[in-house]
This record gives sequence, C-alpha cells and structure tokens, in this order.
Amino acid sequence: MEIAVTNESDIFIFSIRGRLDAVSVPQLEERLNQWFEQSGTKLVFDLDGLDYISSAGLRVFLTTAKKMKARNGKLCMARLRENVKDVFTISGFIALIPAFDTLGVAKDAIQ
Amino acid sequence: MLIKQMPARVESLHDLLTFITDEAKKKCFSEDARHRIELVVEEALVNVFVHGHTQHQVQVEVRCLDSDDSSLTIEIIDTGVSFNPLSLADPDLQPDLNARKIGGMGVFLIRKMTDGVAYRREGDNNILTMTVLNR
Repeated sequence: MEIAVTNESDIFIFSIRGRLDAVSVPQLEERLNQWFEQSGTKLVFDLDGLDYISSAGLRVFLTTAKKMKARNGKLCMARLRENVKDVFTISGFIALIPAFDTLGVAKDAIQ
Repeated sequence: MLIKQMPARVESLHDLLTFITDEAKKKCFSEDARHRIELVVEEALVNVFVHGHTQHQVQVEVRCLDSDDSSLTIEIIDTGVSFNPLSLADPDLQPDLNARKIGGMGVFLIRKMTDGVAYRREGDNNILTMTVLNR
C-alpha cells in the first residue's frame, strides 16, 4: 500500500493505493495519527488506486469518521472502484462517509 | 485437495491469500468472485489470528476442496481455542455515526459474501467451511 498526502489550501487529500488489509492497516493508522496531531478539519480519501479493502480497513475509516465528527470536521471519499464500493455498501459504511465519483466534486462537497 | 499450512499470524496472510486466489484464477473465476473469495478468506484468517491464542503456537490451514468449476469450497482449519465465529450476532448497521459501533464487520462480510458457510469443531480443531459460486 502507498499513501500520498497532499493539500489544496485547507483540504487534505489522502491518496491510498494498493491493498488496505490487516497487514497494511497499521501504516495508514500511523499516517492518520500524525495528521490528527494537527488541527485540519477537511479530509478526502482519494481511493482511485485502491484495489482491495477488508474489515480491517473499514475499521480505520470508521475511527477516522468519528474523530472528524468530534472536531466538527468534514470527511468524504472519492473514486471508489466497484469491488471497494461493494464492501462499503454491504457494510452500510456508505451511509456514514459520503462518497463521490470525482475528486473535484468531493472537494466541493467539503469546501 | 490442496492444502497450505502456516503459523496463525498476520505475517502469513498474504501467502495464504495468494494460495487461494491462484486456485480461483486457475478455475477461471470471475473478478467479482475472486474478490469475494479473497475477502472472506482474509476475514476468516484474521479472526483466527485474533481469537486463536493459546499457550502453544497456533497453526492455520487453508484447504481448497475438490469441486466443479462453478463453485469453490474452502476450509479454514486452526488449532486455536474453540471459537465459533458464526455464533456472533450481526452488527447493528446503524446509519448514525455516533451510535455506530466499531468492529463485528468481518463475520458479517463472510455471511454476506459467501454462498454458504458452516462451522464445526473436530477434536482440537476449529473448521470453517465457506463456499463461493462463480457468478
């Protein structure tokens, strides 16, 4: 898994590529924990390069959503692939974190 | 029947998943079916890694049972403490973020993404059988 963090003004974008599973989850948790040390309130997960997610990955997304809510922040996801979207839909997580087809729409949504 | 045995720890995960997804590829399973297989096997294995702890090193075995080209039946066998994952209640799929609890999704995904799942205890082994149809 590869994670790239970029920002456009106050919107931070986590681009996650590869596999988000029980092996790689600690890497994402560490990167997010670093980010949460700062006071950012706008976060987008760009999942265009994400091939696979399991419940270990879902757990990190839920924890992040709760932390963002606690600081009155905004979180959303963009560009979910079909199989990744299926996991979010079946688990009901799609109702917890807004998902958008393009990065542009996602950024506008939390502007 | 194909069998792969490894220590029950997260470091074994990718080798065990590759073993099973290679089988699904050989059987020309659809991308969607292969994805479901990979996901449910990971969820079952991670449960073993987390719940199986005893004094001794727990072993886990993935078996690919002989079946026709339209389905794949997988057994996950471990020597850990007796644990039936199917005894867990389904999580509350609360659409409210504050109320939504963390965890419990692994077994739920197994139930939803397999076409059949069963647990049995045989001697000192937990055996989880999962069937996925190629569709």
